[in-house]
Amino acid sequence: MISFKNVNKWFGDLHVLNNIDLEVEKGEVVVVCGPSGSGKSTLIRCINRLEPIQEGELIVDGMKVHDKKTNMTQIRAEIGFVFQSFNLYPHMTALDNITIAPIKVRNIKKAEAEKLGKQILARVGLGDKSKAYPTQLSGGQQQRVAIARGLCMRPKMMLFDEPTSALDPEMIGEVLDVMVDLAKEGMTMIVVTHEMGFAREVAKRVVFMDEGQIIEVAPPKEFFTNPKSERSKIFLNAIL
Amino acid sequence: MWGFYFNELIRSLPFFIKGLWMTVAVSGLSLIMGTIIGFIWGILRASRNKILRSLIGAWVDLIRGTPFLVQVFIVFFILPGIGIELEAFPAAVIALTNLAACFICEIVAGGILAVSSGQREAATASGLSAYQQLRHIILPQAMRTILPPLVGQYVLLVKDSSVVSAIGVVDVTRVGWLTVQRIPEGIMVFGLVGILYFIVCYPLINLSNILERRMTVGATRL
Repeated sequence: MISFKNVNKWFGDLHVLNNIDLEVEKGEVVVVCGPSGSGKSTLIRCINRLEPIQEGELIVDGMKVHDKKTNMTQIRAEIGFVFQSFNLYPHMTALDNITIAPIKVRNIKKAEAEKLGKQILARVGLGDKSKAYPTQLSGGQQQRVAIARGLCMRPKMMLFDEPTSALDPEMIGEVLDVMVDLAKEGMTMIVVTHEMGFAREVAKRVVFMDEGQIIEVAPPKEFFTNPKSERSKIFLNAIL
Repeated sequence: MWGFYFNELIRSLPFFIKGLWMTVAVSGLSLIMGTIIGFIWGILRASRNKILRSLIGAWVDLIRGTPFLVQVFIVFFILPGIGIELEAFPAAVIALTNLAACFICEIVAGGILAVSSGQREAATASGLSAYQQLRHIILPQAMRTILPPLVGQYVLLVKDSSVVSAIGVVDVTRVGWLTVQRIPEGIMVFGLVGILYFIVCYPLINLSNILERRMTVGATRL
């Protein structure tokens, strides 16, 4: 469903993605980890072309994301994206936040979108918060609204860019619970995170990155108990 | 003497009201058109198009860096030299509209750029087009930053409109000049001129203050 072939990207002189090869199947949950500055956020931001790549092939759901002529609107509609800093629209209620894209991009009728939106808010445990503004919600609640915003587009895959890194420790659980449920329902997910408990529970593979390269790809059990590379060992020692 | 001139001045009031009407017409028309043009320029100035951005930036700097009086003279006296003949009133409106657009352009661009980049990213990621992002996500948030200084700018522009009296537009300043030749009491005559400007500007100043307070206190909704 997502296929990187020899993908390279530079920020000026910095080689931020170095010969990336990665395939993600439909229904697969992949956790990407690595030290900060290793290119893991850039990797998933390329998938919906929040960042363009400079070399190589990147095919998402059969569409050529590397090709500048490709119209991204259609692809982006199929990809839910959750940011570290939530990025909810502060001038809209929770319900408006999650229904604006279905209404404007998918051309769903407002009443229908709101019905769907309320169902999805209930699913992330915020059925009573549809009229709340983002500033009236806690960090964990805001991030769950952000996940609901992605889900409301009925996407084929969800990308998470360090979704719990900006949260107070006591709120991390409520967000991870929602993500675990999603994973178990068969959503295709790529999650950049250091939450190794989450990786153990639902990830099919863990991708370890350092300095723009994919160093190791392995099932979580193997990665945690028997990391192959020296750098993975150092990283795991530091975070576990 | 004061009493005599005062009665004269009272008798000239209709003339002043006519002048005030002209001031309101020139500045009102210019503010409306200047706001529309200023928003368009401001949106382009905050866009990714480098050529448009620097063209508009250069024009705004040029206008902000030259006296408005000189700009009015150029429109009224120099444009006819290249075949654009204008009456005083349209010349005044064109010059003031341009001035308003330039100042408003900077306010609008500043407001748009103050919206955090994460907002644009989130909207992009959900598939909204550039226009939809601007209309539904960026501008509603930018208006918070834009509105108070925008209304403040209106006050400045109403006062700047007095400059157009120099090319013979009979606005309230020009009425002052004409009247003071008959009634040689400068303080009294221009005191009245000042009061008339204040009557127009004071509600705007109040509105600006109210907006300022509303935008900073109520962070949840407009």
